[in-house]
Amino acid sequence: MKKISDRTVIHVITATGIASVATQLVTIRELLAQFQGNEFVIALILFNWLILGGAGTLLSRIFTGHSRLATPEKLAWISFTLLCLSVFQVMAIRELRDVFFAQGASVGFYPTLVYCFCTIAPYSLVIGFVLPYSLFVIRNIIPSCPGARVYIADNIGDIAGGALFSFLLVHLTTPFQSLLLAGLPLLITACLLFPSETRCRPKPVLGAGLTLAVLLSGVLLEYRTLAPLQGKLAFYRESCYGRIEVHQDREQFTLFLEGKPVYSNNNPALAEETIHYTMAQTEQTRHILLISAHSGIMKELEKYSPDKIDYLEIDPDVTSALFRFGLLKKINGLHIINQDGRAWLMNSKNVYDAIIVSLPEPETFQLNRFFTDRFFKLAKQRLSPGGVLGFSVKGFENYLPEPQRQKISSLFNTAAESFRHIIMLPGGNIFFLCSDTLITADIPARLNEKKIQTNYISSFYYGNVTTERIASLNELVDRDQPINQDLSPSLIRLMFSQWFLKFSSSPAGFAAILVVIFLIYLLRITKEEFVLFSTGCMNMGAEILVIFAFQIFFGYIYLQIGLIITIFLAGLLPGAWLGETFIQKKRGTLVITDIMLIIVTGFFIAAVYSFGDRLPVFFYLFTGFLFSIACGCQFPVALHLSGDSDNAAVRMFSADLVGAAFGTIAASLVLIPFVGIIWTAVILLCLKIISLLVIILGYGK
Amino acid sequence: MSAGAAPASAFLHFEEKVRKMSGPTDIRGKIFKGKAPKSPWKWSKEGFLYSKLDNNKVICGICPNRCLLEPGDRSVCRSKVNIKGTLYTLAYGNPCAIHVDPVEKKPLYHFKPRSSVFSIATTGCNLRCLNCQNWEISQTMPEKVRYNELFPSDVVKRARETNSESIAYTYSEATTYFEYMIDTARLASDQGINNLWISNGFINNRPLVELCSVLDGANINLKSFSDTIYRKLNGGRLKPVLNTLKTLHEHDIHFEITTLVVPGYIDDPEMTKKMCSWILNNLGPDYPLHFSRFSPRYKLERLPPTPVSTLDSFRDIAMTEGIRYVYLGNVPGHKGNNTYCHNCGKMLIHRLGYNIPEYYLKGNRCKFCKTKIPGVWKA
Repeated sequence: MKKISDRTVIHVITATGIASVATQLVTIRELLAQFQGNEFVIALILFNWLILGGAGTLLSRIFTGHSRLATPEKLAWISFTLLCLSVFQVMAIRELRDVFFAQGASVGFYPTLVYCFCTIAPYSLVIGFVLPYSLFVIRNIIPSCPGARVYIADNIGDIAGGALFSFLLVHLTTPFQSLLLAGLPLLITACLLFPSETRCRPKPVLGAGLTLAVLLSGVLLEYRTLAPLQGKLAFYRESCYGRIEVHQDREQFTLFLEGKPVYSNNNPALAEETIHYTMAQTEQTRHILLISAHSGIMKELEKYSPDKIDYLEIDPDVTSALFRFGLLKKINGLHIINQDGRAWLMNSKNVYDAIIVSLPEPETFQLNRFFTDRFFKLAKQRLSPGGVLGFSVKGFENYLPEPQRQKISSLFNTAAESFRHIIMLPGGNIFFLCSDTLITADIPARLNEKKIQTNYISSFYYGNVTTERIASLNELVDRDQPINQDLSPSLIRLMFSQWFLKFSSSPAGFAAILVVIFLIYLLRITKEEFVLFSTGCMNMGAEILVIFAFQIFFGYIYLQIGLIITIFLAGLLPGAWLGETFIQKKRGTLVITDIMLIIVTGFFIAAVYSFGDRLPVFFYLFTGFLFSIACGCQFPVALHLSGDSDNAAVRMFSADLVGAAFGTIAASLVLIPFVGIIWTAVILLCLKIISLLVIILGYGK
Repeated sequence: MSAGAAPASAFLHFEEKVRKMSGPTDIRGKIFKGKAPKSPWKWSKEGFLYSKLDNNKVICGICPNRCLLEPGDRSVCRSKVNIKGTLYTLAYGNPCAIHVDPVEKKPLYHFKPRSSVFSIATTGCNLRCLNCQNWEISQTMPEKVRYNELFPSDVVKRARETNSESIAYTYSEATTYFEYMIDTARLASDQGINNLWISNGFINNRPLVELCSVLDGANINLKSFSDTIYRKLNGGRLKPVLNTLKTLHEHDIHFEITTLVVPGYIDDPEMTKKMCSWILNNLGPDYPLHFSRFSPRYKLERLPPTPVSTLDSFRDIAMTEGIRYVYLGNVPGHKGNNTYCHNCGKMLIHRLGYNIPEYYLKGNRCKFCKTKIPGVWKA
């Protein structure tokens, strides 16, 4: 019987990398659409992914000493299983949500954590298992094959998968189509793992055929699995910024972004409040800037006959859906600009009489950047004398709970840094009206003067927004609440508290369990494993840092998340190659790479602190690349230092993954929300200093 | 049918079934074990209508949850605690929400239109509605919020100062601060101020009968007409609420019924038909019924708002069934906000939000055909 070559196995490993990264990115987007679309959920997904991957890797230890049991045929069957699991995973995420949680209900931290864990567990365990297993298969063919060869092949696949998804699939395909296309190379190469004389026998043919059928069934059921329980799916698009759906229920169209209803027709109250509260204040109403929009607002804006309306919406697919389904009306003077609102304010020279922001709650870093001191400064620069900025956040019916009080206080204090007069109007949304000229809360009276007819405001304002309610809201502002800044996003922290309050839970229990587990783990690992643990932690921590910093300054993470992850993967490959090249100078290489990580982190801190949003995109990608080169370099060296046996390889892979999981969760859930970007980077830098000391002191001279 | 069509159709059928088995079937609240304070505080009072059992256990008798509390336990509504074998309320004289609202906001459309209502609430609720609009106060403990000190006599004084004709016990669930409500209501009643109870109606008969002696009006939120949905969406049960409606009717209290039409849960026309038929058979045609439009809130934020045509069709169903006064809530400018005489069909009250630009009632009669209109009207 003709033996399978090691090259075939290497091809399978690379193809596994391609399929797994695409699956990971599709899964992140899917879970974001099913749960809160915020960075915390991204962190939970990555954490679960890495922990389960680490567990899968450890599972492969049962083969150490029995690696003869690892055969190419079995690897082929594992590959088929993986491909099927990728489809089942996405289907499970979509279908089981409504089984475990009440239809239409949002879900708290712990249920999200458990749901993510359970739905991605089968795939993640197998993907974690398959890499060391592939090494055992190769070593059955070439016993002296270095572990780093598998690591490099996997990296090549990861980079290719990341690039394929970020540059092609995310723009052109739906999630199941992505899984099919990214999975095809693995399906084909896995078939080659069967010896040529058995390849056409019923079992392999049936296995490959069934796998292909499963991949295709995902594509066929794409729309079906997205269909709403109420009404029908009138429109569906996976834009590079996220999922857009329009549901039609009778005469009503509702546009959902990331699974949440954002725009719906027949909502005159919000449209009137958004436009008239701001427009009532200003004498001039010629030039208006809208940053995003609520449905129906153009009709209200039209009443002022403005000369020019610049309407900024980053996602062209959202604007086209809004106009197509009548959620927004095209009116005279309207200019639709598909650009990031903040970038527009920075680069435009236009001056506006009113700037109206209609964005959802600042519960992500992307949205938070429209509620920071820097944003308010930029907005003020673009306002004419007497111009008004209007924006809103979620309000309350009858009682303002503490985290929300702190939130509006922080917003008030932040806006007060730029504007002399601010009024908050209570209601379902709390409206902030900011200007350097006096502002009135008697909106109906102003609208009467301007002869503007309204339906909701003229009928309900005096009953809902009473002077007593306005006064008590404005009295509740805590002037000592810290302001909200790009690099120290106090609102994100408060939104996080509010999220926990709403679900009557606390992250403290989860944090305590994690700390205990990690402490036990740290006490049990070797020096080499600690170095790789810290490297994994640094690499993912830095990746999260770059994702969040990128999000804060550029705000379009959905488009770029694949690119960032790809860049971080891309650096690992030359890093691993360098590590292999300098493998003889083990300790020196580890020291140099640790010093390099410390310097790059220091450089990142200095640059972000000094230049903030003036840094180009390239800066983040380049620093990300440098981080990952240094981290990639350390893996083969540490592996070599620990003996490069099967057992050592498994332990090293695990240390890297566990460190990465810790880095992800610590950076995103604890450090960045509580101490901000700069201090998180400082803490990561300190971790690497400890690792450097371990190398220097642990190995002597 | 092709060979592949049968399994595909079987899958789709299975998938649809799976998706419809949505979420937990009962979200009823639980007793908070060991969450009572060590001793009563300034805003405590010994609970009304509770029973003492062996081993210092007590049973609260106010609502159908009938919380059995061991010493140190706190009730489902979070307001009642067992301290050393005595049941105390922690919500007496410490309202966390105080506002003056138009009566139409409650909503009460047949109770002294255009009058002001002094509205108060402490924390607490005996249900767990996923779409609660006052969850900030209904789903928390009295000690965890900012509160004002306003004992019953102060409430009545403030109502007078603000020229309010009524006091409403509202926002959270007034049943959970029953002792505070009834003491205040007695004082108010003595001084000619009306008492309005805005409630989910989840209360036992004995306290309700006691309450009826001082009550002038009520709005009962009949959340659905299905016990299954009550358990799943609200953590309650239907029957006690229906009993409440019957008791109010027997005691001749003016009340209005509100149903929030939540898409996917409470938008079944058949259920609405049954509900209207029950109302007609047990309460008669004269109690106003409000269908309110849902918009995403609290935990139920991934559902779209209710289509207005769904509300329209519900209004039609109710009126066809024979209910005389059917209104639509949260739909500004809709004709379903106005009151039409059930006899001559002419518009009696034209409502634009809380404004009433046209009013054609003379006392409690239609100005056109002199038919008596049910409700509590100004002379």
